[in-house]
Amino acid sequence: MAAAPEPVINTTPSQSTLLYAAVSLVSLVGLGDAIYLTVEHLAGRSVICTIVSGCSEVLSSKYASLGGIPLAAVGAFAYFAVFSLATLAAFGYKGMGKPLAVIVTLMFLFSIWLFYLQAVVIKAFCQFCLLSALVTLILTALVVAIRVRGGKRIAAQ
Amino acid sequence: MKRALPFIIIAAVLVLAVVIAWSLTRSGVPAVPNNPTPAVALNAPANGPVAPRIPAGEPGSDPPHAHGPANAPVTIEEFGDFQCPPCAMLHPVLKTMEKEFGDKLRVIFREYPLVPAHEHALAAARAAEAAALQGKFWEMHDLIYTNQNLWKEAFDVRPIFEDYATRIGLNVERYKQDLTSETVQYRIFLDGKRARSLGVKGTPTVFMNGREIPFESLAPEKLRLLISTEIANRSQ
Repeated sequence: MAAAPEPVINTTPSQSTLLYAAVSLVSLVGLGDAIYLTVEHLAGRSVICTIVSGCSEVLSSKYASLGGIPLAAVGAFAYFAVFSLATLAAFGYKGMGKPLAVIVTLMFLFSIWLFYLQAVVIKAFCQFCLLSALVTLILTALVVAIRVRGGKRIAAQ
Repeated sequence: MKRALPFIIIAAVLVLAVVIAWSLTRSGVPAVPNNPTPAVALNAPANGPVAPRIPAGEPGSDPPHAHGPANAPVTIEEFGDFQCPPCAMLHPVLKTMEKEFGDKLRVIFREYPLVPAHEHALAAARAAEAAALQGKFWEMHDLIYTNQNLWKEAFDVRPIFEDYATRIGLNVERYKQDLTSETVQYRIFLDGKRARSLGVKGTPTVFMNGREIPFESLAPEKLRLLISTEIANRSQ
């Protein structure tokens, strides 16, 4: 009987490992934020903004859901996917970097769109949405650093 | 073990996420027993046929602003903020229910201005309470909600609300004095105290006969069904 293929595990901690671990930790912040917004959306309440003053305008707008699904729930799913992939990558599992980069890129583009909606269309900002945008921006920077580092390593070999 | 560790971490985070989501859901629900004690029947006659049920907690301003008889089989208590868009969306729904169910439904409105999130919410609450001192709470309440889009982004809402006061026939000078009166401020304070004692976290929060109704059940067809069921249960 053929044995199941062993996952390829890199046992030496590297800078990439640390960067992937950072992605995992940062994505948890986004996950918590998105869970909070999802629950409040489903409860149908006006979320109280303490820093800016447009939470209920943003979160009760037609852009707050996508085909009946709260946008925050989509965000929670995306953050969880990022967390899972980055955690696996941090433990040396190969092949996680590319899907991670794709998801984070989509999240980054989507965050730009959402920021535009808040600033130009709704003309109100929600602090929890801004936090999510900031988290995505940090994740993008970390993933870019990982990819750049990976590219340099290949070029050096 | 190391191979399995990331999967254990991922599973742990997933479980934790579910637990946090569940506890957040619960944190918005006040501690009301399944069979709430009947209660603090506000303005109810002592020998009324059916005592309305409202959740326990701080009593709030008394008498509350209410539509419908005190002995109605169904009492809806709303904690609202005049600047909150979902509250404005709920306003016509409750009006429709009041028309449809007549004296079988009592609707209570409690002030819960989300300050400082909504910069004009407190001014709107004061305007409604000042109008109440001249017996025109609901007229002002309706105008403020109906025209929310017209004033919510205004720099100064005072002249707008003064215009409403004129339109509903208030003594505007008295209204302007009442806006900052202790009575008005104390009523808003008492409603806020009641809201906090019931664990109200945002607006609109609606209780029906002592139980919190999830927002998704406040759509006209769902609310109609809930009220009908409650009336049927109470008449058995």
